[in-house]
Amino acid sequence: MNSIQAAQAASSAPLLEVRNLVVEFPTRRGVLRALDDVSFTISPGEVLGVVGESGAGKSLTGASIIGLLEPPGRIASGQILLNGERIDHLDPARMRRIRGKEIGAIFQDPLTSLNPLYTVGRQLIETIQTHLDLTATQARARAVELLASTGIPAPEARIDHYPHQFSGGMRQRVVIALALAAQPKLIVADEPTTALDVSIQAQIIALLKTLCREHGTAVMLVTHDMGVIAETADRVAVMYAGRVAEIGPVADVIHRPKHPYTVGLMGSIPAVGSTKDRLAQIDGAMPRLGAIPQGCAFNPRCPMAFDECRSRRPDLMPSGQSRVACWLHEDALTQGSAA
Amino acid sequence: MSLIDRFGEQLERGRDIEAAPALVVVDDIAKIFDVSAPWLNRVLERKPRSLLRAVDGVSFEIPQGQTLALVGESGCGKSTVARMLVGLYAPSRGRVLYNGTDIASMGSGSGRAMRSQLQMIFQDPYASLNPRWKVLDIIAEPIRVHKLRQGQAAITARVEELLGQVGLAAADAQKYPHQFSGGQRQRLSIARALASEPRFLVCDEPTSALDVSVQAQVLNLMREIQKRESLTYLFISHNLAVVHHVSDQVGVMYLGRIVELAPKRTLFAMPRHPYTRMLLDAIPDMQMTGKARTPVAGEVPNPLNPPTGCTFHPRCPYANERCRSERPALMMLADGAQVACHAIEEGRA
Repeated sequence: MNSIQAAQAASSAPLLEVRNLVVEFPTRRGVLRALDDVSFTISPGEVLGVVGESGAGKSLTGASIIGLLEPPGRIASGQILLNGERIDHLDPARMRRIRGKEIGAIFQDPLTSLNPLYTVGRQLIETIQTHLDLTATQARARAVELLASTGIPAPEARIDHYPHQFSGGMRQRVVIALALAAQPKLIVADEPTTALDVSIQAQIIALLKTLCREHGTAVMLVTHDMGVIAETADRVAVMYAGRVAEIGPVADVIHRPKHPYTVGLMGSIPAVGSTKDRLAQIDGAMPRLGAIPQGCAFNPRCPMAFDECRSRRPDLMPSGQSRVACWLHEDALTQGSAA
Repeated sequence: MSLIDRFGEQLERGRDIEAAPALVVVDDIAKIFDVSAPWLNRVLERKPRSLLRAVDGVSFEIPQGQTLALVGESGCGKSTVARMLVGLYAPSRGRVLYNGTDIASMGSGSGRAMRSQLQMIFQDPYASLNPRWKVLDIIAEPIRVHKLRQGQAAITARVEELLGQVGLAAADAQKYPHQFSGGQRQRLSIARALASEPRFLVCDEPTSALDVSVQAQVLNLMREIQKRESLTYLFISHNLAVVHHVSDQVGVMYLGRIVELAPKRTLFAMPRHPYTRMLLDAIPDMQMTGKARTPVAGEVPNPLNPPTGCTFHPRCPYANERCRSERPALMMLADGAQVACHAIEEGRA
């Protein structure tokens, strides 16, 4: 309750703020820094896309926000604020009340996010009753309503079915219904369409967009699929080696990428209609966590790297509407154009 | 009867494209899996036999040096076609001709040498390499089996040459697969496939498990190798953008059948079959023209109990009574595209 009043008091304040987040994994061979100084905000009702390749730290960022970081991973420093209140150091019991009520989660594999031994109705009703003060009958009615709103045909009958009786796309609809059950203000969706076929993927993305717009829910959409981001997100954060390389409005990042990594990433996506014989390629691979190069993490693969890139790490610097962690854009503001 | 018709059509088409002789000819292949309950249950519980028609009458030809891509969603039978083409499954019906020879006869004797010319690259580079073998042994195995080089020194030299061709270092021969990233492992799979000096490569979703930037590296590499060695590819993918990038011809599969088969340019410029149009519509719009995607309702039906007539009819906006009862055959259009659709034939769509 407290947090909602706070949000109303400062309506322009971000819903979620991640400040200088550092996540570390202690190992026998030293501490690995998986997220290094990650900062971004999500406004109420906004869809923030987080893209990057496997191992860039995008799922880890999502897991930190919903408080499901797998030990031995730990938040070493930095803060996560929801409605202006820190949620990164809460004890498990309090975090559990926030998860579901304030922050909903959708994961990649709809089969593993549902309990195979319970009917979907039981799982929905349990979630609803945990967070909302409703009787069993009311909760069931709400569950049917939720299933109907996610486009599941014959929800009154389907509510008593088990997860294995649903197809992949239908299961993901159930998971979306679960995430929306307590009307959270934020949904963390980690690769929600990756396990689905393209035709079903389009359906699920459309559904997620409509529902979130109706409820005014903000979404952190973690994915490696730029196409999904282009269609859904308002802003995009591009992650590389545990850091945010570029963050800005979706049209700017996709059509006028500034960071050389983003430029390479965009060029490597095959497009229907393109007549290019060769795709642009970024040579090499993302560094391993134990061997992140000094300076800018991208410098060994960067076609435009110069001395500064190899010695000093760039912070996010404003460039147009975006912010870019690249020395090429250090004085972009004063010069008026980027290299 | 329609079968005979189609075979006749096939022969005619064969004559038409005499200029580029087909290296691989697939003639009405089908694969039917028996997924019936065990005998005792069938007898006691009177359960019927159930047959899964994973692939049901697929025909195409791939000219030497070209790429045919098969696209479709999970369960449409594209991987089953791939496996039949390299002889991992025996077709229940029909045959696959490689260079004029039925691959079913390549099991032994003189056929074996020919079989080395067909190789396959699999989707998951983590599962397709033996984790306990060194790279040297993995890549040398086909060389040894087919006796392509004599003596350890010559074999090692050949392995190092292959590693160079796929952009890896000669020293990598002494490493184990776990020491490589996903993209590098897929390069190893390609090196192993190339080891037996193939002319025809079947690639089953070779980049689906990879990140986009790594996918670009692997697709570029595969194209370079194709040009250099003048290889013929069958490329299986669910990603139409990737298919657009690599293919010369595209076959769209739905529930075990090809619903549209056309040269790449024709298919992408003028998709005919409603399912093809739906797939193209489902590609996320990177240009952000604001055009709303129209997600087509419904899902792929259960292949154990496919719809009657045209199997796409429950999802098709143009379906009518004929579509529900009569199965459409592939028909040749003026521009070389082949479509199996009553609505197109009658000019309704």
